[in-house]
Amino acid sequence: MARRKAAEPEPAARPLRKRELAVDPYEVPDDTESPKRRRQTKPPSTASRSKAPNNVHVDDTIQEATAEAQPTVEPTPTKKRRGRPPKAPLVNGQVATPSALRQKKVAETPIKLKGINGVDTPSRRNFADRSARRKSARALIDRVVGAISDDEGEDGGIAREIYESSEDEEDEEEQQSQDEQEDPNPTTPSKTPGRRRKATAARKRSPTPPRDLPSHEQYFYQNKPGLTKTSGNNLSSLDLLTHEEYFSVLRQIKDPHARDVQFLQSLHAESFPQWVFELSQGFSACLYGYGSKRRLLHQFGTYLCAKGHLPQPNKIVVINGYVRTTSMREILGTIGSAIDPSYKLSSGTPVALAQALLALLSSTLTTVILMINSIDASPLRKAGMQSVLAQLAAHPQIRMVCSADTPDFPLLWDSGLRSAFNFVFHDCTTFAPFGPELDVVDEVHELLGRKARRVGGKEGVAFVLRSLPENAKNLFRLLVAEVLVVMEEGGGGGAAEGSAVEYRMVYNKAVEEFICSSEMAFRTLLKEFHDHQIITSHKDSLGTELLSLPFRKDELEAILEDLMS
Amino acid sequence: MAEIDDHTFQEDDHRAAYVSNPLSDGTAAVPSAGAAPRPAKRRRVSAKKEVVNGRSEDQTSGPVDVGFLPLFNGQESPGAVKLRGELFETAWPVLEGRIQNVLREANRNTLDEVSTFLRAAEGEKGKIPAGFIITGPNIASQDLLFEQLAETLCKGSQTRFVRLRSAEAPNLKAALKKIIRDATVRVAGDDEEGDDVEVSVGQDGRKYLDYDLEALHVSLKLQQSGRVIVAFQDSEAFDNGLLTDLIALFHSWHDRIQFSLLFGIATSVELFQARLLKSIARHLFGAQFDVVQAGSVLDSVFKSAVAGSHALLRLGPSLLRSLVERQQDQVAGIQVFISSLKYAYMCHLYANPLSVLLADDAHINRELLQPEHIEAVRSLESFKTHVEASVEARQLSHAQSLLDDDDYLAEQILEQNQKRRDYLVQLLRSLHLIAATGLISTPFTDLYVTALSEGIDLTSEKASVLDPLRRLGPNEIVSLIHHLLNAIEIGSPELDLQGWGPDADELVASLAEIRDEVEALVERAKDSRKTLKSKYSAQSRVLRTTVVAQKVQLSRDTATLTDEDREFTEAIDRLADLFSRSVNCEPVTSRFLHEAWVYDSKSPYRDVFVPRPGTTLSRALSRPNDYLGCACCSKANGTVTATMPTTAVLYHLYLEAGALINVADLWSAYYALVSDESDIGMDERTALVHFYRGLGELRAMGFVKQSKKKADHIAKLKWI
Repeated sequence: MARRKAAEPEPAARPLRKRELAVDPYEVPDDTESPKRRRQTKPPSTASRSKAPNNVHVDDTIQEATAEAQPTVEPTPTKKRRGRPPKAPLVNGQVATPSALRQKKVAETPIKLKGINGVDTPSRRNFADRSARRKSARALIDRVVGAISDDEGEDGGIAREIYESSEDEEDEEEQQSQDEQEDPNPTTPSKTPGRRRKATAARKRSPTPPRDLPSHEQYFYQNKPGLTKTSGNNLSSLDLLTHEEYFSVLRQIKDPHARDVQFLQSLHAESFPQWVFELSQGFSACLYGYGSKRRLLHQFGTYLCAKGHLPQPNKIVVINGYVRTTSMREILGTIGSAIDPSYKLSSGTPVALAQALLALLSSTLTTVILMINSIDASPLRKAGMQSVLAQLAAHPQIRMVCSADTPDFPLLWDSGLRSAFNFVFHDCTTFAPFGPELDVVDEVHELLGRKARRVGGKEGVAFVLRSLPENAKNLFRLLVAEVLVVMEEGGGGGAAEGSAVEYRMVYNKAVEEFICSSEMAFRTLLKEFHDHQIITSHKDSLGTELLSLPFRKDELEAILEDLMS
Repeated sequence: MAEIDDHTFQEDDHRAAYVSNPLSDGTAAVPSAGAAPRPAKRRRVSAKKEVVNGRSEDQTSGPVDVGFLPLFNGQESPGAVKLRGELFETAWPVLEGRIQNVLREANRNTLDEVSTFLRAAEGEKGKIPAGFIITGPNIASQDLLFEQLAETLCKGSQTRFVRLRSAEAPNLKAALKKIIRDATVRVAGDDEEGDDVEVSVGQDGRKYLDYDLEALHVSLKLQQSGRVIVAFQDSEAFDNGLLTDLIALFHSWHDRIQFSLLFGIATSVELFQARLLKSIARHLFGAQFDVVQAGSVLDSVFKSAVAGSHALLRLGPSLLRSLVERQQDQVAGIQVFISSLKYAYMCHLYANPLSVLLADDAHINRELLQPEHIEAVRSLESFKTHVEASVEARQLSHAQSLLDDDDYLAEQILEQNQKRRDYLVQLLRSLHLIAATGLISTPFTDLYVTALSEGIDLTSEKASVLDPLRRLGPNEIVSLIHHLLNAIEIGSPELDLQGWGPDADELVASLAEIRDEVEALVERAKDSRKTLKSKYSAQSRVLRTTVVAQKVQLSRDTATLTDEDREFTEAIDRLADLFSRSVNCEPVTSRFLHEAWVYDSKSPYRDVFVPRPGTTLSRALSRPNDYLGCACCSKANGTVTATMPTTAVLYHLYLEAGALINVADLWSAYYALVSDESDIGMDERTALVHFYRGLGELRAMGFVKQSKKKADHIAKLKWI
């Protein structure tokens, strides 16, 4: 804003600048260069070519902008002005997200400057035409973005916005600042970018992507700045799935490939004896490939037991890496209890615990089979997890089979870990659908930036509560009831996130109802809920601790019904 | 089907870890009746095995069936199956023991140097002795080294050895705890100290925190033991601050506890020093030790485990080449090489029914050979060439009997065992002799691999040994003959080759004769004041430059060979001839029945050790029919059809999309493909469920991530 204003009061300088630009030998070939270049250099060259820059401009920009952009070519000056300074829309409470605005600024600054500096009549109309492209983009984005506005994490994103590369951004920002500083000397800023343009080779844009590029070329091709253009469609018209709907529809779906999948699995099952042999020779087996390998592993476990392929005292410990709450302590605790039911983990680092555990194992004759589902799932990707697992796998009395789902799982291990694991890899593409490994609805909603619902939905809660003591169930019932009451009172909207109950109050009620006797016990129960992400807590401005449930009202009602029955 | 099963163990699926018992307790504990007879047989085997190597690991695999299956579609006789199992169980442990020996030997020098250094540094006051052990980038082999260090350094003396890995010591407290625990526990031994969190020591009954070095001090005083050696295995991975703190702390305790430090360093001491503060580095008094380079370790492992006569199975040239290349190109580590070797043994003996032929004569006999074996032999490539060769050689009846007469063939097969051994001995002797000449600089591994694939034929080879041999001078010839004789006499302990003097009477005699002759010639030449030369020696061909009256004259050395020279030339010729006659060997593939004792298949090795999960995944997703083999998708042939699994369809669309994908468009593209109008005819909600699932899977596999650039857009993450 300020910049433009600074530029406007001195129209005298402009013709001069323009002419110089036009004669500049470096500038002319730019016209034939990449579209972006063209866009930037157009103002001066067209201005010199004809006295009616408007028409030329519109043509040009239309080539650039997407189809919908055309209608918005004639905008009101006010709109344009609002768009330029990054802070304006926030103040005005405009719909446009900052991302869109900032991007525009990044993309268009040079035009703007040159437009102002280079054209005789700095009429607003002229200027408006020139920035048609910018406006079209804004219109586009305005339509897309709708009500969504998430500021966080944007900074990185905008830089590589669809229209411009970060490199250009830098250039232009530099140029901008130069313009500001060296206003009296107009040639410098335009020359500098001119040279820069030379440096970056001309980019051709063809509508059809080249076929059969090797993957790395494909990467560079698709990440070319300016190439990523997507339509403005969005999913607002689509009613997204809820957990309930997802599962109810899922239950009715019959997979036409079920038999083939079954057959494929039976093929893999034929190599069970081979795997047993490999395990007995101190190798760990790692199954990879597309599809859920959980059932295959389970089948393998059954096979191991049934055929007596294992040394006699043996235990099978299954680890589900995909369970979000998987912790090393829990894993080690389970293994410990498998070896010796009375074994209690001491405190300490996982590594120390694992050593203690291995010492215990060495003192017995038990063979432990570790079956790890999804060893590359995010809970197991945490630092230190893999090295403890490797430590376990290296023990002669531990045999390990694991499955890996992602394509880059080998990156989890360095050569030290690899040789500790002593892996043999098997391609076990099963095509089996992922079941508990994947919380599809949450996963997709997270991907779309929709607020992810807690794990499991209503069934999830029921499931969590089933494994908790009676007290916990009662407490949760109490909580749900209280939250519902608050919701009723507040005439509550759909979501319960807003309606919270006071921690103190719940505690007192819990004590009254003999759910717990001390705050310690109360906290312990709450912690359990926290761990399963079925409650959330926060403090309000006064510091009062509030508890809330991340469910919608109808869900809460359903949960309460379940709990009461 | 899947759904039903899911319900049966659903509860467990959401637990992070649980003890599984797929069967009820009773059946799990007792092997089922069908498997009962087998363990009984195995027991004898494993007992024998224990005698062989007495390794502790055996107790775990004791009564268990290793799981060799009858081959030939289950037609293989139990005897043969058993024999294969036995072969594996006897062959591999022996080899493994040898490899371990080699590895331990390789580190011996370093160990000696380190212990000498530490002993010498004992008197050093005010500084902590520190050994910097340059282990090289391969952290996988460090374990063995440090284990050995612990053994050697603790031997006899009152020394405590603590090994620290960066993973075990994330912070100062944890590191100290670990040091104190390890240093005291070993002293405690049977003292039942066990699970005490606090280390209680001292007559005064004082208790110390478990990270208080005072505890260690007291304990050491009680045990009257001197020093504590702390080894930082992967020093690069330790936090700078932690190292600094630890060293400073050790230094301040140095007057009470004698600390010595060892650092495993993958890069260089300079880099390591640059990480430390100067003030801290001043506390150290160090020396640098190098560990034997991976290349030479590989060479000796190769010699003893692959080439050595103890190796039961021969690895074929192409497999070997890829193994060795992998060692050199990727820093795979010797452990990987050993695993690969083991896996090759496993593959061969597990899956090749003809591997029974590897058994020694005592175990293999006519009865063991089933009709299936005979048939299998007849289908071998080497059988074909052998028969063709005999037809060429007009041994028609031999060829006829091979084809028709099972008993005759069986006889031939059994004879092969001896022939195989002869071949191997010949191969190794030849290689050993070549190596003994010292005229070839190629590493032994290459030499061996080439010998296997192309055979050894000195007369035809391009850059043969013979040329440099001919150019040798008389004294060198004498010493060369000396080396050769020595080699024949002693053999090669590395290769497990015994001296074969008695077998090679003729060769030894001729060599000695040539040597004597050359020596005599040298004497005679000395008498006549001339140097002995042969026509191959360089001088006879080289131009001679003389400066006469300030002019340079070029003249050919026309000096004719004297009689002695001629005799010497003749001697050299004879030697070369003799050498090339005695050193020869045919390529392994030309041997009849080599399939039974050479394992040269690269594919299981590559699949099993160098997986390509990306390619596998993208193949599964782009051509699901390859795996599913279903009729509905067979038409697709690399393109997308609606019948494909959802994820596969989405993957195709994903490939076509740019770096940023609009989910709304993705959805409409997908829905257009499977909607009511298409052959599938899915309603919108069902399609959406499928879509969700596919998208969720793509995300879980790391193909896409959320993008904040635009609403409902996702960013592409993988270009496979």
